[in-house]
Amino acid sequence: MRRAAILGIGAVPVGAYQRAQPGAEILEHELATTVVLQAMAEAGLTREHIDGVVVAHPGDHTRQGYFHTFLTSHLGIRAQSTVIQVLGNGMTGGHAFDVALQQVTSGQADCVLSVGVHFETGVPTAQHLDYSIRLTGDVDFQSVFGAVPIAWYAMDAQRYLHEHRLPRGTLASIAVKNRLHASANPLAQFRTPITIEEVLGARPIVEPLGLLEVPGRADGAVALVIVSEDLARESGQPYTLIRGRGFEHEGRHQIDDQPGDALAYAPLRGASRRALQEAGLALSDIGSFQVYAPCTIVEALGTEALGLFERGAGARAAAEGLTRYDGPTPVNTCGGCLSRGHPPEVTPLYDIVEAVLQVHGRAQGRQVQRRGLAMSICELGKYNAALVHVLEGCS
Amino acid sequence: MSGLPPIRSITGPQPDTGRLAPLPRISMPGPRPFAPRISAFTRPFWQALTEGRFISARCAQCERISFPPRNLCRGCWSQELAWVDLAPQGTLYSFTRVHVAPGAFRSDTPYAIGIIDLQHGPRLMCRLVGEIETRHLDQSMQMLVLDYDDGPLFGARLAATAAV
Repeated sequence: MRRAAILGIGAVPVGAYQRAQPGAEILEHELATTVVLQAMAEAGLTREHIDGVVVAHPGDHTRQGYFHTFLTSHLGIRAQSTVIQVLGNGMTGGHAFDVALQQVTSGQADCVLSVGVHFETGVPTAQHLDYSIRLTGDVDFQSVFGAVPIAWYAMDAQRYLHEHRLPRGTLASIAVKNRLHASANPLAQFRTPITIEEVLGARPIVEPLGLLEVPGRADGAVALVIVSEDLARESGQPYTLIRGRGFEHEGRHQIDDQPGDALAYAPLRGASRRALQEAGLALSDIGSFQVYAPCTIVEALGTEALGLFERGAGARAAAEGLTRYDGPTPVNTCGGCLSRGHPPEVTPLYDIVEAVLQVHGRAQGRQVQRRGLAMSICELGKYNAALVHVLEGCS
Repeated sequence: MSGLPPIRSITGPQPDTGRLAPLPRISMPGPRPFAPRISAFTRPFWQALTEGRFISARCAQCERISFPPRNLCRGCWSQELAWVDLAPQGTLYSFTRVHVAPGAFRSDTPYAIGIIDLQHGPRLMCRLVGEIETRHLDQSMQMLVLDYDDGPLFGARLAATAAV
C-alpha cells in the first residue's frame, strides 16, 4: 500500500470566533477559507491538485448544513475522489484526517483537503449541555440522571485518586504543566501560567474536577493538505510522513455493564500497538505524544494505557516534570485540551498540527529534543475507542 | 432468581415471589427532568420499578445479566432472555457531583451520580441521594425507587443510611 504525507497545515488560534463583538462576526466558511489558504500556500499546490475534500462534521452549533458540499462549492473545487463529512464524537477530527489518508493510500486520490471548523461559543453553556445530554451514555437509562460528558471522566478521577491514594494536587499538576506548554503556543486559547493552588481553588464543575481541570468552551478551525508520498517528495519541501495507524473499539458505550477495571483504557493500548507495528517502531522511538485528554485524569490514564508509565504513575509523571516538553516523555506540548483549547470536532486536527510542528522543529519555545517522530491519539467516549497515528518529519 | 418466563412472551413482570423486600422509595419533587422513553420491550422494567422491584434481562444461554435490559445478549447474541430480580444492594465504584448541568437539571445542582456494582452484577449508573463523599467508595449501597410526579427512576444511597 502506498503511503500518505502531510504537505501543508493551516490553523487559527483556538478562541471565541462565534461570540465575537457585533461587527466582527465571522462565519464558519469564512474561517475555513483562512485555514485552507494557509495550508495550500504551505503545500505550494493549487486547487487543481485537490482530488477530494474530507470535512469534520461541525456539530450542532454552526448554522450552515451540509457544510462539506457548501465549503467545496465556496472553494470552487471540482473533486474526483470524494467530498464527505465525517462524524465520530471526539474522534471526529481524527476521522477527517484518517479518511483523507485512506483516500490517498488507496490510490483514489493524490491530494486531499482535510478540514474542520467547530463553533460553540455563541451558544450559552446550559443550552450546549442540553444538546450534549443526548450524547452522554444511554439516553433512557443514564442521561435521565443528568450526566454530562465530562461526568464520566470525573468518576474515573474519583476512582483513580481512591485506588492509588493520591492527593488531588497530583492530578492538578497536569493542568499546570499543560498551561506552561500553552504559554509557548501561539495557537493556544489559555496562555497565562497557573499554579497548583489556583487549580485546586477553582470552583468545582464535576467533582473532584474543578474549572481548570476541564475544557473551556472554544471555537477553532484547521486544514491539512494530505498528499501521496511521491507527490510530497516531488515537491522538494519538508513533509510529514504517516508511518503507522491503529484503531480499536472495545464494544462498550461509556461504561461496561459488567463490574471490572474501568480505568485501563484498553483500546488505547491496542490501537497504539497496531500503529507502532505498522510503523516498525517501538514506543521508546517516539519523541512526543499528543493525547486527546479533555480532563486532567484522561491524560494520566491515557499515558498509562500507552505504557509510558505504570498504572497509578501517570499523574505523578506530570508532577515530576517527566511529561514536560523538556522532559524525557513530552506529552501534550501544545497545551492539550485544557490550555491549547478544545473545540471538540477539530481538536484531533489541532493535535496533528502540533505533531507536525514538533517533527519539523517548528515548535519554538516548547520544542522537544527528540523531534523526528510523534504520536497523535484521539478517542471517543471515555476511551471506549482510540485512533492513533505515528508521524515522521522528512525533508 | 424468580424464574420468570422468557421476555418475548411476557408483557410485564410476574408478581413478586416474596423473596426480595420491595425497594425503599423516596419522593422527588416535580416531574423527571429528562424522562426515559418506554418501549414494548422495556415496559416490564419500568412497571416492575413502579412496584418496587428492580429487574433486568438475563441470557438463558450464557446467563449474563445486562443492564440496561437489552433485547439481545451482548455476550453471545442470544435472544433467549428472561426477566430476573436483581439484588438491590451493591457497592459504590465511583461517583461525581455535578455543579454545571443541562438546563433541565439546573434546579437540582449540585447533584450526585455514581456507578454501582450490584452484588451479583451488573454494573450501572444512577442518581445518588443522601450523604455521599469520597470516603464512601467501595461502601455498601442500597437501590431505591425515586418517585417523581410523572413516574419512577431508580437511584441509590448508602446502605448505612437510616430508612426515610
